[in-house]
Amino acid sequence: MSAVADWQPRLVALVCNWCTYAGADMAGMARRTQAPNVRVVRLLCSGRIDPLIIVTAFEQGADGVIVSGCHPGDCHYVQGNLLARRRLTIFSELMDFLGLDRRRLQLAWVSASEGVKWSQVVDEATAAVREAGPLRGFGRPAAGAPPVRFPERPSAPRPAPAPGENEATATALRERAASLLGGGEVAVVAGYAAGSLPGQMVPTFVSDAAGTEVLDWNERCLANLSVYLPELLRRDGRVGMVVKSCDAKAVLGLVREHQIDRDRVVLIGVPCTGVRPDGRLAAKCYPCAEAVSPIADMTAGTAPAGPRAVAPDPRDAEIAALAALPADQRWDFWQGQLGRCLRCYACRAVCPLCYCETCVTDRNRPQWIPVSIDGAGNTAWNVARAMHLAGRCGDCDECARACPADIRLDLVNRRVASVLEARFDYRPERAATAPPPLLTFLPTDPDGFR
Amino acid sequence: MSRIGVFVCHCGENIARRVDIERVAGFARQLPGVAVAADYAYMCSAPGQKLLRETIASQRLTGVVVAACSPQLHEPTFRGAASEAGLNPFLCEMANIREQCAWVHEDGVAATEKACALVASAVEKTKHDGPLQPVEVPVTKRALVIGAGVAGIRAALDIAEAGYEVTVVERNPSIGGNMSRLSETFPTLDCSQCILTPLMVQVSRHPRIELLTYAEVEEVGGYVGNFRVRIRKKARFVREDLCTGCDDCVAACPVAVPNEFDMSLAWRRAIYLPFPQAVPPVYTLDADACLNARLTSGNGEYRVLACERCAQACAPRAIDYDMRDQVVERQVGAIVVATGYELIGAEHAAEYGYRRHPDVLDGLEFERLLSASGPTMGELRRPSDGRVPKSIVFIQCVGSRDPRFGVPYCSRICCMYTAKHALLYRHKVPDGRATVFYIDIRAAGKGYEEFVARVMEEEHVVYVRGRVSRVVRDGDRLRVHGVDTLSGQALQVEADMVVLATAVVPQQRQGELARKLRLPTDSGGFLQEAHPKLRPVETLAAGVFLAGAAQGPKDIPDTVAQASAAGGKAVDLLSQPRFLREPTVARVDQLSCTGCFDCERVCAYGAIERRELHTPGDGRLRFVAEVNEALCEGCGVCAAACRARALDVLGFADAQLFAQLGAVVGAAR
Repeated sequence: MSAVADWQPRLVALVCNWCTYAGADMAGMARRTQAPNVRVVRLLCSGRIDPLIIVTAFEQGADGVIVSGCHPGDCHYVQGNLLARRRLTIFSELMDFLGLDRRRLQLAWVSASEGVKWSQVVDEATAAVREAGPLRGFGRPAAGAPPVRFPERPSAPRPAPAPGENEATATALRERAASLLGGGEVAVVAGYAAGSLPGQMVPTFVSDAAGTEVLDWNERCLANLSVYLPELLRRDGRVGMVVKSCDAKAVLGLVREHQIDRDRVVLIGVPCTGVRPDGRLAAKCYPCAEAVSPIADMTAGTAPAGPRAVAPDPRDAEIAALAALPADQRWDFWQGQLGRCLRCYACRAVCPLCYCETCVTDRNRPQWIPVSIDGAGNTAWNVARAMHLAGRCGDCDECARACPADIRLDLVNRRVASVLEARFDYRPERAATAPPPLLTFLPTDPDGFR
Repeated sequence: MSRIGVFVCHCGENIARRVDIERVAGFARQLPGVAVAADYAYMCSAPGQKLLRETIASQRLTGVVVAACSPQLHEPTFRGAASEAGLNPFLCEMANIREQCAWVHEDGVAATEKACALVASAVEKTKHDGPLQPVEVPVTKRALVIGAGVAGIRAALDIAEAGYEVTVVERNPSIGGNMSRLSETFPTLDCSQCILTPLMVQVSRHPRIELLTYAEVEEVGGYVGNFRVRIRKKARFVREDLCTGCDDCVAACPVAVPNEFDMSLAWRRAIYLPFPQAVPPVYTLDADACLNARLTSGNGEYRVLACERCAQACAPRAIDYDMRDQVVERQVGAIVVATGYELIGAEHAAEYGYRRHPDVLDGLEFERLLSASGPTMGELRRPSDGRVPKSIVFIQCVGSRDPRFGVPYCSRICCMYTAKHALLYRHKVPDGRATVFYIDIRAAGKGYEEFVARVMEEEHVVYVRGRVSRVVRDGDRLRVHGVDTLSGQALQVEADMVVLATAVVPQQRQGELARKLRLPTDSGGFLQEAHPKLRPVETLAAGVFLAGAAQGPKDIPDTVAQASAAGGKAVDLLSQPRFLREPTVARVDQLSCTGCFDCERVCAYGAIERRELHTPGDGRLRFVAEVNEALCEGCGVCAAACRARALDVLGFADAQLFAQLGAVVGAAR
């Protein structure tokens, strides 16, 4: 017999103690014969399941994972399963986008009395994973996988601003900053100044009115300055910050997560026609209708009147192109991308919402995320990053810009965001009023569980 | 270094038949950290537990894995044994190689391989177990009993007699439940009211029982020993302290509506006492029926009449049209759920003409016709024309044992009450003809079989084994088409009345209550007990106990027995000075906590509190999360929400899950 014929799929089932585990016992008491390929790991609640647990199961060699808990409304812990439903819905969509065969991740509600259903879940999941075959290792794209062709990016909906416009904004900006600092309203203003390379704009921090001369504004002011906010507030107490509309969503996130005190931040909005990292309008700016962030406390210069030209986000076409591929090819594409990850953590450093004292990737008891720069470690890290930002990401795209390996982190974030919008009606700008979408639920949430 | 002992149970042949015990023990023996692996025929037996205790001592074990049945069955047993041997009980884990392995796999080789993986997983989990101490919480010395039928009444009296305060909540205006509707009870034929009424009065007079009738449980918070219950006392528009029960208001009321207590076979006024022996003997004004415009009705109907006849008739001025629902809160340590049953709806009995012919009745309706306090004062007369029925056909298993159109289970009481019905009918109408269609007779109870035999032989009731296909009207009579499956012949029976033994189902709104109490229900919607055999009155929600038909169909003796058992369990809990809770709670590593309080957003128990912390190093002050162990249930939803992984669950820790995953996937490969 060949090795392939000998192959037996190995599945891990993560089940809650009260419903599914009891249901699996019930199957036993009724002697419901079932496939012997599933290994149950018991937790108290399906709401306990962090996606990293599932990633680890795959990485350890599972070909498939079953997650099962109480039916919606029946949770022993009131709402754990409803939170799990949202989290795992996002996770399974993310894994699908990364090319994991949908058959490998099975979600099912099984109650304590559903022994029959449990044995069916076990048998059907085992059969599905058997059909899908052994899980191809992480970080090993098939040799000779065809490159993915993305559609041509359409031309920008708006022209670059005239130099005069930028200068007017910069002048107003300097005045605003000088008055804030001079009046003692803030101790420091975070803004942009010319860098050492031609055309380069870098973050700068000005703490007296005289220093405001260095402040400048143009379409190359790429950085999201809110990443500095918590530290500046700790040091200086009150902070002024130049804010683009996209950056402001991170500020909302920091306020929502109790990292900064909004009352001690003065946001100076700038009329922005879109940033142009390499002379071309950034993808995130295509659909942006906000010249000035609505949460800005003041505006430097005058915001243009009336609605402005917008166009669909070109990344959506790229995501659609990827989504149209067979899962195998998506897997190869992403393993190729993630295989380049250097684990330099520039994405983490530049992200305003990555503020943990100790990042999960630096934790080693247990070592959820392998430190080695290989497919397993890189996939685990990038999945963890994407899941940690799900429902929190403000879509500033700084991670993708900072990545020295040019991994399309922007597509990952954008994909998660669009699932959140489609399934749970959540958009980043709702951060001002709505709870984080993965920390809440509706009884009517769409259900991918069987 | 861990020194773990692995004990593999044969469970007689239960496990050994499928799983190669020796191979599993041998596999365990070579796992790193395992000091000893043994096997025994029955680990749960006294010698099995002795082996466990002695090995812990002789091998100086730091942890124990018992590979046997489900932890839901014997984890407490083995943890207790480990504890007796001086090992912290939480250093004992189980590998479930019976229910989830030996019993469900036919291939011995695959089952053995799986058993090895499960043992490896449990060993890894044990390696990362720490000794845990139970969390001590105070116990509020008061019980709540939900539902005041015979089950709730018995449980409440037992708890109160033991010296504890009890709050009884009953949805209806009177206590008594379905039992107060019954005429006489099988097999002794005592009058139901006669044996129940003294208990009802006892409940209302007991100094330690607080009776809240016409009230519903709105919200249940807290946890075992410390539940916080909000109860809505519906406005009855009659002041209980003033009403003398004189009946003058009823005589004045112009509105007539069907009386629910009489299964709508009789009328009552908008202001009413459901039945003469009602407890409390206080009238209730039905807001949905009353004409007075000041009443806010549940159905939102707009009324313009300002009828105040009852108030005018009421000498003690007990009627208060401005009364509103009142929400009261009670702290209780234990809860007994005794919400009872109802009969399955008419849609399941359409072919029998139920609700189409007035003379087709269900069991409870027939009880009211037989009852001395019923609409006919116990005289048996047809609802359609008042004639005495000369022939009655009783049909059993209507809806019961009918997975396609009804419920799959047996309702347990119908065989007996149908026999009783037939007997009472023959006593009331000696020349009447009683015919019973049955599938088979289930008379398992003390004196039951004898009772049915008496009905068949001495009372000349005709028992026909077979089913009825339909009941049709034939002039002013009914014609029952059925089949006698013993003779194989189709037959038709002329009847003046047909009585259906419809299936017993949970109260319609029991599911709503189950959700408030976080209780699982079975496929029939009945409340699920913690273990079908060994913990029949407990539930998986600690401190919540079950009594009566809320848990499954049962007759009065079984209901009363279970109610006393539930009362006893509640007293057992209330009598403890402190309750020991499972120490499997969440814990925060405060130095890693970022203070985002996402955990606070997802915690259903309000167990996350904010603490100020001086950060080591820069000394700045910040808020971090802390878990209130008395409130934490250990679900771990907070841990899944914590990006920094500052939160972990003791006993189901990250390190354990991680090690288990490696073991179940990698072992024996």
